[in-house]
Formats: sequence, C-alpha cells, structure tokens
Amino acid sequence: MAALRAGRASAEPGTRAVRSAGVAVAGPSADAAGVAAAVAAARGEDRRRRVLVVVVGAAVAAAVALAALSFGAAGVTPDRVLAVLLGGGDRIDRFVVFELRLPRILAALVVGVAFALAGAVFQATLRNPLASPDILGISAGASLGAVWAILGLGAGGAIVAGSAFGGGLVVAIVIWLAAWRRGLHGVRFVLVGVGMAYLCGSSVAWLLARAEVREAQTALHWTVGSVADVRGDELWLLAVGTAVCGAALVVLSKALRPLALGDDHARALGVRADAARVALLVVAVALVALATSVAGPVAFVALIAPAVARRLAGRGGAAIASAAVVGGVLTLGADVAGQFAIPGFTAPLGIVTGVIGAPYLLWLLARTERTRA
Amino acid sequence: MNATPIPATDATPVAPPARPAAVDRTAASGRSHSARPVAVLVGSAVALLVVVAASLALGVRTIDPGEVWQALVAPDLADPDQAVVVQLRIPRTVIGLAAGLALGLAGTLIQGVTRNPIADPGLLGINAGASLAVVLCISLLGVTAPLGFIWFAFAGATVAAATVFAIGGARPVRLALVGAALTALLTPLIALVLLRDTEAFNQYRFWAVGSLTGRDLSTVAALWPFLAVGVVLAAVLAHRFNLLALGDDVAAALGQRVGVTRGAAGIALVLLCGTAVALAGPIALVGLVVPHAARRLVGSDYRWITALAVLLGPIMLLSADVIGRLVVPNSELEAGVVAAFLGAPMLIAIARSRRVAGL
Repeated sequence: MAALRAGRASAEPGTRAVRSAGVAVAGPSADAAGVAAAVAAARGEDRRRRVLVVVVGAAVAAAVALAALSFGAAGVTPDRVLAVLLGGGDRIDRFVVFELRLPRILAALVVGVAFALAGAVFQATLRNPLASPDILGISAGASLGAVWAILGLGAGGAIVAGSAFGGGLVVAIVIWLAAWRRGLHGVRFVLVGVGMAYLCGSSVAWLLARAEVREAQTALHWTVGSVADVRGDELWLLAVGTAVCGAALVVLSKALRPLALGDDHARALGVRADAARVALLVVAVALVALATSVAGPVAFVALIAPAVARRLAGRGGAAIASAAVVGGVLTLGADVAGQFAIPGFTAPLGIVTGVIGAPYLLWLLARTERTRA
Repeated sequence: MNATPIPATDATPVAPPARPAAVDRTAASGRSHSARPVAVLVGSAVALLVVVAASLALGVRTIDPGEVWQALVAPDLADPDQAVVVQLRIPRTVIGLAAGLALGLAGTLIQGVTRNPIADPGLLGINAGASLAVVLCISLLGVTAPLGFIWFAFAGATVAAATVFAIGGARPVRLALVGAALTALLTPLIALVLLRDTEAFNQYRFWAVGSLTGRDLSTVAALWPFLAVGVVLAAVLAHRFNLLALGDDVAAALGQRVGVTRGAAGIALVLLCGTAVALAGPIALVGLVVPHAARRLVGSDYRWITALAVLLGPIMLLSADVIGRLVVPNSELEAGVVAAFLGAPMLIAIARSRRVAGL
C-alpha cells in the first residue's frame, strides 16, 4: 500500500499539468488547436497515471508474493525458496513452496482481482459508487446459500461451495427479473439489490441464531471469507474462470466509458446501453459467484478496491485494470498480514481486507475532500 | 465520482421540485393540492391504530378481546391472560412504536441528506457501530441481558454516525461512501471477536436478529428524551430538504444555510438511529423502505414525507412483529427477520413503479 501511495505522489505533477492545461483552455487567447492540444495532453496524463498505478501495483504484488513465499511455519528460508524457484531444492522444500505457500498466494491474488473487477463493473455500469456485490446482495445470497448448506444440510466442502454459487446466482437473477422493466435502470437495480442484501442478511442472522452455537460459528467463519484452504482443482477453477471473465471484460469494457455518461449519451455514441450493461453485469456476477464459492464473501474488496483505484488513477471513469491490480494487492497483502503481522495471531482474509482496506479508503476520502474541494 | 450517483429514471426528473408539481396537479384537478397527502395521513393513522390493536390482541397465546380491553383499563395481574397483555404485549407494542418511528424518520433524514436512494442506517455504518459496541460489551464486560446493551448500542451508533459525518462532510456521495467504508471496517472486527469468543457469539446472535421482545418499558423510559429531540429536529428541518433536493448550490443560492441544515440533520440522525438500534437491535429495511413508500404516496414534498414516515415506520415494524407471532405455530419469528421479508418485496414494488424515486 505504501508503494501505491508513492505511486500517487509521483503522479501529482501530471495532475498539475492537466490543471494548467485547463487554465489554458479557459484563457481568452486559446484557439481551437490549443484546446485540442490541451485535451490531448490531459488525456495523456490520465492514461499515464493509470498505467503507473497498474505498473506500481503489479510490482508491489510481485514483491509481496515473493516475501510471502519466503515466510511460513515450515521454516523454509528465503535462499532455499530461491533455489526452489530456480528449479533446485529438495523434495520437502519443493512441497512447501509449490503445495503450501504458492497456492495460497495465488488464491489470495486471484480472489482479489475477481472481486475488484466485479466491483468496478458494477459501480461503473450502475453509476453508483456503493453498487458493489457486497451491498447489492449477491455476496449475501452466496452467504445464505453456504450457511443454509452448513446448518440446514450439515454439508461441507464442495456442496457448500456449490450452494454458495447457487445462492449468489439466484439472488442475481431475482434482482434482474425484479429490476427489469423495459430496460435496466440503475436506480431500480440498486434498490432491489439492497433489498435482497438485507433479506439475505437477516435470513443468515436468523439461521445463525437458531443453530447450535458451534455449528453456527463454523458457518460464521465461512461468511468471513478465507483462502487458507484453496488449492488444487478449486484454485484452477478460480484462476481459469477469472481469466476468462477478465478477458471478456476487456472486450466489453469499451462500452463502459460511454455508459458512465448516461444512457442517452451512450446511445448517441453508438453503444447499445442495455445490451452492453447486461453483458457486463453477467460477467461480473459470474466473477463474484465464482470467487465467493471458493473463498467466501471476502469482505468488501469489491467495494473498496475500485473506490481506491479511482482515487489513485484519477478521473478515468472505468479504471478496470487499476481496480484489478489494487484488489489483488489488497487481498494478497491482507492475507500475508493476517498470517504474519502479529506473531501468534492469525486472522482470516475477510477480516484483514476490511481492517486494512477500509481505513485506507477513509483516509483517501478525507484527503481528497481537502484537495479537491 | 463527481457525477451524481443517481441517474435520471424514465419519466421522472432527477430532483422533482416539490411546489411546482403540486401546483400542476392543483391546476389539473381543481382540488386543493394537499387533499391527497391529508387523506393518506388519515388512512395511515387509522392503519396504525389497527396495527396497535392487533399487536395487543394477537399472539401465540389466544386471549379474548374482552380480556385485552380489561387489561388495558383495569389490569388484574393475577389473571394470566391479562398479565401477558400488560407485561409482554404492551411493552413490545410501545417499543415497536418508538423504534419504528425512529427508524422511519432516520431513513427519511438520511436519504434527504445523502440524496442517495439506498442510504439507510445499515449502510451509513450506524448499525455496524452499534453492533461492535454490543459485541465488545458482551465479550469484554460480560453483559448478557438485552437491557444492559442499550447504552452500548446507543454509544456505538452515535460514535459511528459522528465519524461518518466528520469524514464525509457535506458532500452526499462522499457521505454515503464513508458510511459504507466504515461498515466495511467494523463488520470484520465484529466477526473477529465473535469467531474467538463462542460465549459472546452465543449472546450476540440473538440480539443481532433484531427483535422487540426481551426488553421492558424501562428502555423506552431511558431513551425517550433522545427520541423526542430527534423528532423535533426532524420536524423543524423537513421543509429545508425540499430545497436541498434541488442541489446544494441552488439551496444556497436561495438563501439556505446548507451546512446548518446538514449539521442539524446529522444530530437528529444520530439520536434517532441510536434510539432505534438500542431499542430493537439492528433492524434492516424499515429505514430504507419507509421514505420510499412515503415518497410514492404523498409526492416529493419533504414535509409530507416526514409526517407520513412518523406513521409508516411504526406500522411496518409492528406489523412485522405481529406477523412473526402468527406464522409459526406455538413459536415466534423475530420482528427483524419478518421486517426484512416484508420490506424486500415492498422495495421491489417501489423500485418497479413508474415514479421510482429521484432524490
């Protein structure tokens, strides 16, 4: 996170250039060519800044991942990890690195990317900064599915994951059917989504209050979200699914910027607003359902990561790539912190993301209040 | 981020100016423009009376209406039926009235201040603040009775709300986002305590559902001054939200001190939300649905919306409580769960209606 902040600081001169360009536009001597040049310069600065966020974020993620590979209860030291990575090392070292540490790191990273991508798409297509899957009930639906499977069926493992996936999907479909009326309207979608979130949340609270307390605690643990046990097939499924959805978003994201201007403008620019929005949201829902079924509804990554990314990367409406990078850094950093930050104390991923991410977002919000007012 | 978060909907302008709309309707129909709101208010008052009567008369234990009446006018506590009415049903009815009133008004104020249609005490971090305080008081201090939670819940809610307003400041979008971020910060902390302390979890999970039972009238006796100040502030502020709905700049240009309005509304909010969550626990959806329903019934004039919210809040919460007593034979569903199951379809109906709210 610190390095990301540094990234923002080094991007400041760019912002100033945009501002001075704005002044030039406003000045009486500005001719058409001057305006065009200023706009082009501003766009360039915006793009440069987004690229910077992505590059710095990726570097931070790589550094954290390397550090995470070098720590752990098994006591495999950094030099031996390096040896393993270079193709050497003994069998036990290889097992620790490839079977224990690497899967968890990858899982944390991919889960963060998936949630952040979904959150960015939700917020951009619905034009509400609160419209993340956590707040619109899709995560809550997945939680309800999982809690019901754990407490009602006494299930575990794949059944819980499947039930969570189904719960998230059912809620998404219900929101869809209820909010669709001659097209998809942001306010309708968001209102219905919030209603579903509370409905599912209350049902979870009720199920937890009815069950035997130890079982209820197991279910509560699931609703927090963790990547401690994600490996093997689950990890593959998650990674491939996220990659496919991510690729689909890249293709579809050309429609995002005009959509952020409003349906009428988007239509005028040749974007079929509803079709584009439906396609984008379907992909986002798939991402959330997939990530949640594997790792649980890791708290608020989908809300926090795009919000942080927007503030780091400037005004570029749909900063999908920066959101994904911020999400990955957030979850990976949070998972590492949850394991090692306090000796003798571990916390599941879902707890640490909120505890690290939310204050950072609050700090950014408080800061931009002063600088942009 | 700088764009308004609420897109215009099909036929409705984003911020429908209250007066002109009313004037148009007057011109078209030739009737006084306040006829409909007055009728709605009277109808709601009647509905509230019916719900209160139902709350006193209905329950798991079947009690003759004559006995209920006897219990109200000349209670004889030796009679088990009358004792149930006096000791259980009257307190939960009064608590439902107070908490419903607080939730309905709080929701109205929050949506007026943030101009975000999904803002409610749950989203602004207020319920999360109260919940964390309750969890800590159970876990660290060993408090077990719901009566012991009220001041912690109240304090948690007020601290959370004050934090949100301190960071969120005057800008609606930021306020809503700060509230959500605070919820994102506090919810995992609550889970952290609950995962490590099974006994605390065992206590907390019953509070967290949201219920009108297990409290007595002393909670209302302790909290009514806060509720009263909140209600008075809301009543005084109601007309100011009409201008605020046009945007801060317009409101300021028309001579309103926007900051004063927001600050006073913030104080009222803190008091109302704190009271509600202290009385009944975190109840979802009442604070969200009531203002939308009111807006749909009486139009966009915040004076009418506020007046109606005072009635609709208790109607919704008490109905939920009464239904919860009747749906499961020989048992009860908590009001919080039923309120969510009532509120979600209502919210869907409101969202699907043509006049879906622009705030």
